[in-house]
Amino acid sequence: MLSEFNLVTETKDNCVVINTTGYINNIGGQKIVDEFYKHNGNGINNVILNLAQSNVVNSIGISFLIEIIEKLNQSNGKLIFSNLDPSIEKTFTIMGLFQFAKKADNLDEALKLL
Amino acid sequence: MNIVEYNNIVDRLSVQVKSFQEGFSILSRSNTLKELGTNFCHILRGNFFISDVNIFYKNNESAEWESIIINNGRCRECLPHLKTSTNVIIDYFNDKEFSLIATMPLTDGSFWGLVIGNKLDKTELTELDRITFQMFLQLLDNAYQSFIYQEKEKQLNFSLNHKVVQLNSLIDTGIEISKLRKTSSLLELSLERAAALTNASRGVLQLISGDDIISEIGFPNNSDIKKVFDSDKKIDTFVEFESVKYIFTLSEKESRKGIIDFDQTDEILLAAFARQVLAAIENEHLHNEAIEKERMHQEIEMAATIQRRIIPQKLPEIDGYDLAGINIPSLEIGGDYYDVTKLKDGRYLIIIADVAGKGVASGLLVNTLNASLHAYVENDFKLTDVADRLNKIIYKASTPEKYITGFIIILNPTTGTTEYLNAGHNPIFYSNNGKLTKLDKGGFAFGMLDFGLPYESDIIQIEPGGKILFYTDGITEAMNDNNEEYSDERLELFFLNNKPANAEIFIKNLITDVKKHTTDTPQSDDITALYLIRK
Repeated sequence: MLSEFNLVTETKDNCVVINTTGYINNIGGQKIVDEFYKHNGNGINNVILNLAQSNVVNSIGISFLIEIIEKLNQSNGKLIFSNLDPSIEKTFTIMGLFQFAKKADNLDEALKLL
Repeated sequence: MNIVEYNNIVDRLSVQVKSFQEGFSILSRSNTLKELGTNFCHILRGNFFISDVNIFYKNNESAEWESIIINNGRCRECLPHLKTSTNVIIDYFNDKEFSLIATMPLTDGSFWGLVIGNKLDKTELTELDRITFQMFLQLLDNAYQSFIYQEKEKQLNFSLNHKVVQLNSLIDTGIEISKLRKTSSLLELSLERAAALTNASRGVLQLISGDDIISEIGFPNNSDIKKVFDSDKKIDTFVEFESVKYIFTLSEKESRKGIIDFDQTDEILLAAFARQVLAAIENEHLHNEAIEKERMHQEIEMAATIQRRIIPQKLPEIDGYDLAGINIPSLEIGGDYYDVTKLKDGRYLIIIADVAGKGVASGLLVNTLNASLHAYVENDFKLTDVADRLNKIIYKASTPEKYITGFIIILNPTTGTTEYLNAGHNPIFYSNNGKLTKLDKGGFAFGMLDFGLPYESDIIQIEPGGKILFYTDGITEAMNDNNEEYSDERLELFFLNNKPANAEIFIKNLITDVKKHTTDTPQSDDITALYLIRK
């Protein structure tokens, strides 16, 4: 069963990898966006969002992810989702996120897409 | 203004058309209010050579002005001069720090406020500048309308997509939980999905039986369940299965603006999830029942197979006699039984028995009777003693309502001398020279009482042509559609009048006659018969 939200960040090759754990809701979404702006402010324009430990996202969480996508699109940045739970992948597909962001099965594949 | 000046202005405005078009293009690409303000600021700076452009916004008449672009902190002193109205208000100033203060109402009830400084070359705003400024204001208004329509369109798309996600997830979750065999997994998954799709911050699923809480599952896992019930913004629903209530409670619906009330869609979704859980639990229950039923059926099959082996598949040939038998159980495991055994001294023991009741318990008792009987007749014995011992064993082995009626003969095939004992069974028919004798000497049925009452036996002489019909009450009590029994009388007549070529044909004819009586009425008891005739 899902635990409350947490995230761990690492930087790799001019990209920030945000590893999330738990429910991506209003709180989780805000934390992801705050973390993104922290690194984007330092010039990092590529983001990998590893959702291996997050298999539940609500629409508020998605709206935060859309905010990141819109911001990156303005500066030709990239957002790549990795390790998506099949139900989340389906949700993101319906919501149209993959029109502006990519997905990868795992972190290595995601790094190759940069 | 004279005509020449007017034409000059028109000429210069027409040159600026491209600038207006580019300006609108830039403005309409803005994704946020700040971006719109920033782009407008650039346009004004570029067209009027003014660096000091300050832009404010408020979303209704009573709201405070919000700073969008500030290039001169002292512009805030002009805020009291930004008057809202249903029309555009522009005030121009000369020899002041700011050359222009303007407010513009927008279609959604909000307002732009502009405080513009002086031109870099310190000249005053010309008539052309003023007209150009008003046209750029109009562009700003159009761009703002486009902006809010885009925002509305984005929100509408988001909302529609989310509805699709909700419906899709409802279907997918139903499929997924129907595959889960562990009830705890399907309950966790359904709570998780219900919370996520209604944007609830938290959720609880309680299983309650009577006043007892059997189990509680929280979402997220380690969150405080009490907060869910303490919240004044929550929805709940329940389903019930086998006296257990499954109560779903969700609390604190999230939005970007904070916690909001749940709506009707959320209630519908939650109820739908709860129904899916109920269906999954019912299916799991039926699945388990089916497995248990199948297991029991297999065990009964096994028991029936063992049971069928007790009744001899092929009867022994008794020299000088013709013997045939049949056993048709009414259930998979029957309570009737017969056996023919050759004893060490050359005599034959023939038994027919009927256990009160049917099913597995009756089958077990038959096994006990068969095994015990064979053990006792291994060596020398007295029939009455054997009956007494069988009675004691069956009495101990059975429940009070279970007993076994039986009829046993010990036949000396050479002489035809036959000792018989009837333990509570139907009177067995014996006929010699057309005269019917009912063999009923013996005692109580085996296992009925254990008062030590002795059994009695009797001796008959089977002459050539003499015949015995062993049967159980499944034949005489076989019912037809009118609830009429086949009856003892009909069987007696059949026994006396039927003189077929051999025992097997007699048995076949008997069964045919019974079936003629019962027609399609289902068989309610085992049908067993054994026919012996001395040639």
